[in-house]
Amino acid sequence: MKFRCERDVLVDGLSTATRAVSSRGGALPVLSGLRVHLEGDQLRLTGSDLDLTITVDLTVAGDTDGEVVIPAKLAVDIVKALEPGAVLFETEGDEAKISGGRSEFSVNLIPAEEFPQLTAPSAESATIDAAEFADGLRQVVSAASNDDSRPILTGVLLAPEGTGLRLVSTDSYRLAVRDLPGATLLREGQTVLVPSRALNEVVRALGTAEKLSVVLDEREASFRVDGVRLTTRLIDGAFPNYRGLIPQSQPNRLVIGRGPLIDAVRRVKLMAREATPVRLTMREGSVELVAITQDIGQAHEELDAHYSGAELTVAFNPEFLLTGLEVTPGDEVSLETVDSLKPALLRSTESADFLYLLMPVRVS
Amino acid sequence: MGMNASRRILHVDMDAFFVSVELLDHPELRGRPVVVGGSGPRGVVAAASYEARAFGVHSAMAGAVARRKCPQAVFLDGRHARYREVSAVVMDIFGSITPLVEPLSLDEAFLDVSGRVRALGPAPEIAATIRARVFDEVGLTCSVGVAHNKFLAKLATETAKPRATPTGPVFGSGVAVVDEDRVEPFLWPLPARALWGVGPSTWAKLERLGVATVGDIARLPVDALTRAIGPAAGTQLHRLARGLDDRPVEPNVAPKSISHEETFAVDITDRGRLEREIVRLSDAVADRLRRAGTTGRTVHLKVRHSTFQTVTRSITPPHPTDDGLDIAVHARTMLSGIEVADGIRLIGVGVSGLEEAGARVEQMSLLDMEAAGRPDHDRDRRDLNRAVDEIRDRFGRSAIGPAVLAESGRIDAFEDGAQQWGPNAQR
Repeated sequence: MKFRCERDVLVDGLSTATRAVSSRGGALPVLSGLRVHLEGDQLRLTGSDLDLTITVDLTVAGDTDGEVVIPAKLAVDIVKALEPGAVLFETEGDEAKISGGRSEFSVNLIPAEEFPQLTAPSAESATIDAAEFADGLRQVVSAASNDDSRPILTGVLLAPEGTGLRLVSTDSYRLAVRDLPGATLLREGQTVLVPSRALNEVVRALGTAEKLSVVLDEREASFRVDGVRLTTRLIDGAFPNYRGLIPQSQPNRLVIGRGPLIDAVRRVKLMAREATPVRLTMREGSVELVAITQDIGQAHEELDAHYSGAELTVAFNPEFLLTGLEVTPGDEVSLETVDSLKPALLRSTESADFLYLLMPVRVS
Repeated sequence: MGMNASRRILHVDMDAFFVSVELLDHPELRGRPVVVGGSGPRGVVAAASYEARAFGVHSAMAGAVARRKCPQAVFLDGRHARYREVSAVVMDIFGSITPLVEPLSLDEAFLDVSGRVRALGPAPEIAATIRARVFDEVGLTCSVGVAHNKFLAKLATETAKPRATPTGPVFGSGVAVVDEDRVEPFLWPLPARALWGVGPSTWAKLERLGVATVGDIARLPVDALTRAIGPAAGTQLHRLARGLDDRPVEPNVAPKSISHEETFAVDITDRGRLEREIVRLSDAVADRLRRAGTTGRTVHLKVRHSTFQTVTRSITPPHPTDDGLDIAVHARTMLSGIEVADGIRLIGVGVSGLEEAGARVEQMSLLDMEAAGRPDHDRDRRDLNRAVDEIRDRFGRSAIGPAVLAESGRIDAFEDGAQQWGPNAQR
């Protein structure tokens, strides 16, 4: 195999495909590599951990066709470190020569025949507005769990809602729900559970693209944008009945500027160490934030706010509260509560497309 | 990856360890057939001396059968605490040779001596030194396999072992070496079952491909193998058949942790049985956590397959715990990702990241609320655990425990060291 490519183009492609390569190694040493496939001027880079596969297509100046597997991380590091300009990639026996400027590297290849044959799902593809989808994903992925012991909670549920699409995630401590009215991606009644890790990569790959093409079958989802295709295994199992968790009416309602509250939580959080919560005391006209960590100190801040309901103190994990505030759109938010042990509902006062439900921390 | 630099790996296995420790303490029994375990009505043989093996007695055999085959044998109860004590001395000797010691059980360990060759001589010499020191300092014999990876070292040990014959034990070479350029003649004639990961179900599939020996596997095209037994297992098996294994020797630099494990007298294939064992071990771990006034952050699961391949998994839930059910749920989740059909030899549950239980601050869960219909689940568990602890203080560990452990009117709670050879061994 032999081809020439601009360094920056190649670095981008290699890095993107490598994002699917498991850093843990795993059972198959060959999966620490990237498959590099050249046909004519079409270079295809593939990285996979068997759950997530990322394929990048690049146009290069091809010379000799071929297929090899190179150590992924090493290849990225090498190409990144070369002088800007053209990079020459050439294989010779079981080595790859990578050169640019006056530098030359030879890298031992990984036997290519061990690389798994990966197929893309073969269902019809749907097209969706990339910016809106990325926006929705950003709002929900942070509420998904990264605890592999509860695989279902590590996914984002894609479900039809009215004439649009709904994205839902929960790590059991919070729940994020985003509606994308008018986005059609699913057959009637079809729901899929996509690993949030893969969706994070989709968001990253979307960049400034306008359209995203999506293929969903029984077992896999595939997302294609520009020359990048991400294919992920779907999560099997029943997503929790999240509808039953969303309260219909809450007696207490705090309305406050989103920006000022974010700033205050960030400050007070400095004294919420070792898993201690931030306490919000809400009363007519104000909300008071307090964090106390034993042997370290305390923080205190009072903000003006509209509040209707009985005076109430609720404690939250500051990270979870902050994440919720950051992904909620608009300048003003409402926080609806029942008591210190029931979930609080966070929403924008301007838009009904997104909600964030947060379970309090109990202090005893 | 360091795959190309040749490593020097030793696999050290004590010869008939439990029995040898007994002979050490009861020299008058030397030369006689001795069996550890198998004394209760349903007891199972945990270890047999080479003299007893000559009569066809082997570990995991029912005690009654062993007694029929060799009525003149001396049957002893196991003394787990004593074996652990001797094991610690042996492991210390290993540790003085190299810090890279990975214990597999009380009587077995991998040592990576690659970095010690310059100071101590070639690996086979180090192996001989270890045998001599274990004999001089502890009075026990061991066998050592030497190779450039763990897989081959372990296979080599087998060939160095003493063997039982009708005319008495025949000593093995003690040290067996597989040279890097002699892998094929050593490995390929072995039966395919010698490979890790070849249990009964895999074996059946391989037989259909006409595989009998390791060499047959090595000569198969890898895609035929992956088609038959799946891409991960196929690739792994093909690598092993060519003697390739780059897993490092992983020393147990265990963080401060609490764990319990159970070695089964008979390999277990029943997942339900394993899950029950997890509840039992988790209950014991939680008991110790609470007694120490600590909570653990990370839950660990250790599973050893019948092939001796050992896998460990861990999960760090959002909140530290001292609750047996909590630990069991996480351990069971980890077990669900592990294939057990080939037989499980050992299972262990532990927690690490211990911290003092302080003022309770707990993030409540939306889903527990849904499941339990109330947000007080955790508080109830705490009250329950406090009551259980008080009852056990007064009436003993078996007085109360998780219902799944109830068996004919008593609770089969975990008692360290007592379970393997007792009448419960074939539970």
